[in-house]
Amino acid sequence: MSNVRTLAFEIGTEEIPAFDLKNATEKLPQIMASALTDARIAFGGMEVFSTPRRMAVVVRGVEEETAQVDETFKGPSVAIAFDEAGAPTKAAIGFARGKGVAVESLEVREEGGAEYVFASRRIESARTIGLLPEVLRGVIEAIPWPKSMRWASYPEVFSRPVRWLVALFGDEVVPLSFAGAVAGRHTEGHRVLSPAGTDIARADEYEAAVRQLKIVPAQDERRALIEEAVRAMEADLGEGFTAVLPEKTLTEVVNLSEAPTPLLASFAEEFLAVPEEIIVDAMLMHQRYFPLYRDGKLANRFIIVSNGDDRFADNIIDGNQRVVAARLYDAKFFYEEDLKRPLEAYVDRLDEVVFQEKLGTMRQKTSRVCRLAERLCLDAALEAEEAGKVARAARLAKADLVTNAVIEFTSVQGIMGSYYAEAAGEDAEVAAAIADHYRPRFAGDDIPSGIVGRMLALADKVDTICGLFAIGQLPTGSSDPFALRRAALGVISILQSGLDVSLDGAIQDALRIYQEDGVPFDASDAHASIKDFFVTRMKVMLKEDGCSVDAIDAVLAAGVWEPVVVEARVRALDVARTDALEAFADLSVAYARANNLRDADAGSLYDPALFNDSEAALARSIEAARTEVAEALAGDDYPAALAALAALRAPIDGFFEATMIMDEDLALRANRMKLLNAFVEVFANVADFGLLSSKRS
Amino acid sequence: MSSASKNAPTFQEVIMRLQEFWASQGCVILQPYDNEVGAGTNAPATTLRALGPDTWRTAYVQGCRRPTDGRYGENPNRLQFYYQFQVLIKPSPDDIQEAYLASLRAIGINTDEHDVRFVEDDWESPTLGAWGLGWEVWIDGMEVTQFTYFQQVGGFECSPVPVEIAYGLERLTMFVQGVDSVYDIVWAKGPDGVTFTYGDVYLENEREYSAYNFEVADTAFLFQEFADREAECLKTLEAGLPLPAYDSVLKCCHTFNLLDARGVISATERMGYILRVRTLAKACCESYMEHVVGLPGAAERKEGTR
Repeated sequence: MSNVRTLAFEIGTEEIPAFDLKNATEKLPQIMASALTDARIAFGGMEVFSTPRRMAVVVRGVEEETAQVDETFKGPSVAIAFDEAGAPTKAAIGFARGKGVAVESLEVREEGGAEYVFASRRIESARTIGLLPEVLRGVIEAIPWPKSMRWASYPEVFSRPVRWLVALFGDEVVPLSFAGAVAGRHTEGHRVLSPAGTDIARADEYEAAVRQLKIVPAQDERRALIEEAVRAMEADLGEGFTAVLPEKTLTEVVNLSEAPTPLLASFAEEFLAVPEEIIVDAMLMHQRYFPLYRDGKLANRFIIVSNGDDRFADNIIDGNQRVVAARLYDAKFFYEEDLKRPLEAYVDRLDEVVFQEKLGTMRQKTSRVCRLAERLCLDAALEAEEAGKVARAARLAKADLVTNAVIEFTSVQGIMGSYYAEAAGEDAEVAAAIADHYRPRFAGDDIPSGIVGRMLALADKVDTICGLFAIGQLPTGSSDPFALRRAALGVISILQSGLDVSLDGAIQDALRIYQEDGVPFDASDAHASIKDFFVTRMKVMLKEDGCSVDAIDAVLAAGVWEPVVVEARVRALDVARTDALEAFADLSVAYARANNLRDADAGSLYDPALFNDSEAALARSIEAARTEVAEALAGDDYPAALAALAALRAPIDGFFEATMIMDEDLALRANRMKLLNAFVEVFANVADFGLLSSKRS
Repeated sequence: MSSASKNAPTFQEVIMRLQEFWASQGCVILQPYDNEVGAGTNAPATTLRALGPDTWRTAYVQGCRRPTDGRYGENPNRLQFYYQFQVLIKPSPDDIQEAYLASLRAIGINTDEHDVRFVEDDWESPTLGAWGLGWEVWIDGMEVTQFTYFQQVGGFECSPVPVEIAYGLERLTMFVQGVDSVYDIVWAKGPDGVTFTYGDVYLENEREYSAYNFEVADTAFLFQEFADREAECLKTLEAGLPLPAYDSVLKCCHTFNLLDARGVISATERMGYILRVRTLAKACCESYMEHVVGLPGAAERKEGTR
């Protein structure tokens, strides 16, 4: 075993985007480990560092020399490797070339009573320092970026330009360059706090040297520092103050600074008259500030995270406050302008907003959603009063898209409409539905709270999905610009909340409305692909909810796909199987056997006169089960249907045990085929038991 | 109000110092392009000169027209005509961020006493078939500059890669002078103390042009102009003259923007107009590659490699 040293490698860059940096930092240890392993360099532990301007890895216990390795590979048998004259065949030559050895050096050895050729090679020990340039360059190139770029005249690509490299093996510089950056021992400092940077003598000293530059070199550490300072500010402000730190904004802020300093700032109280959602949007989305709340209501305070020198905190706070004041001035102006007209007045202007090029404007969408919502209300047998509210909410739902506030602050769509509706004297449920109809907006978000919002959300989402499928704009693996997957999950969640609406009916209505409006498409193709889409989403959703995959497939195979029905059946099937594990395992084996043996074309009109005892018993059970299953399904009692099927287990087992199906008497054989068909048909409307795995863990 | 305002440079001093700074970096200081553009990027000194292998360095002030942003002079932050200071350097220098920070110091911003950030902002212009990666630069939370490494223009890979720096001159000066309304910017100040503000120079302009853009511009005339300019552009391209052809593209863009401000382009027509402009812009870039950069058959070659 040779001596070990520490390896320090820093890639110095122009500012890397916050989320890309987070992902790359998480992947860096694996990338470095594989690069070293591939070069046969042994090493101990490693630490990873990153700031917007640097990504670094310090690897401890790196061997100065790689171990010498002897490798032996078994090749073809002698009979294949040499021809009759004893000369090597193509097979032997190819094998030798593949292993990088001369064909003459192949050895013949006996193994398991036969002779084979073997190739041996030795990989000599190498000095690590000589291997590192290629290893480290490989590390730079292996870091994955969602978007990468070129700069100047260099052929290399990276997330943003690479400007310096530190590569130290012990106290030795690893000779390496990348896109004009030549590795050395100099690291750049923080732009303001330590602009001169510093030279690092030895790899061991990397972390200390960077800290000496007042840089906080790890994401987690910057995050903890920010969170702690925010808590201290909350405490200083006194009782009732809490800051909101959404994960997305926090991640950005953590990766927008090398040395974060949270600072407290404020805005004029008069702006609190503006709906707080706009203020928060301006702060979080545009400026990456953290808003402060007092007793649940927005306060006129916010937290900035600075990357500057805290001796000049006053400058920095003043500048930020002026930016916020200007934005809030705009927001207040827009809000007050918007309020000068009732929300209804904006509906006509939806002509100006395109929903989708081939599907027309938001005005047209509004008209379609109104018609679809009316149909859904009928289907759900809503009271006239509620149906009236749904109709009103549908008419106004998109009107805020042409208001100044939403044009400027897009994330408050719906919410502003709700404020404007209330201000215009609309019903409270109508106003709430306008805000709610975009829900669920992300995974885990709530569905609309009231029935009016749910009906509206359902109509809006079904319209969007059907329209885009009708014109063939299906979501792909990487692109789902209309968030159709999320819309479908939303539809399913809303239906599961207890709305008595048929999804299939809603889809057919939505497609019919598109046809009424003259959008050209093939309705049956669209219907089929929309159905597939929902079925796929449903599978994903149920699987994530812990339902077993084979139960989902078995239920879907019976031809039902209304989400509520599918879910109820899958759950009942899973429960029934857990309760009667053995019975269901046997039943699915018997079902599969019957299904494999039967001749589906033979029909199921058996002749009882030809039965033996076990056949007669099975036939009686089938008759009974058929009646019970039909009654159970008519009464939506799926567990009872499963129980009726479970009762077939003993008779079918008895039948298989006592009866030779492929009897020489062709009449008997045909009759038994018919009996098997009758057996299989009882299952048809319940679940395809052939898809149930017989082993349940 | 910030203490920065006392010895702060005037608007014209900000411009002159930026010109001087970038001249010292070896840039050709151009005067504003004499055609309507929506951004400094659209001037031919950037769009067309970004193409091809030759070294190019330029800096210029560019008046930019965005008819829909007019607010009749009543909004302190929004203008239908405003100024950008545009820098384009090809190939991008290795120390370009440092040079940019030095340019801020040249106009009186002590970068050590403020929080200067480079915040991810990717640029894409479907109309130009162009995209690049870079940042918006914030000073104490205020966005003052767009900083972009062009990767593609007119559907062509940029090689070498140019870097573009576009300063918002009004924003920057508001920051330097510590004023909250664009109209309060001090534009010039004589030795006798006589002062001209941005409002003195441009307020009337904003009022009149807002009225013209939103209420008066003759839409029939503009529709005709768009069609005529489109035809003119194609004819000019047939003659193998990308530079004058590109002027017609700019005219089409501005005419479209005016029609948009007049509210006479329906949502469905909108996409059609944008596509027509894109077709012309890309054709000009292809023609420029063929006739100026010297890649015969650039158009066909491009199709082949995509």
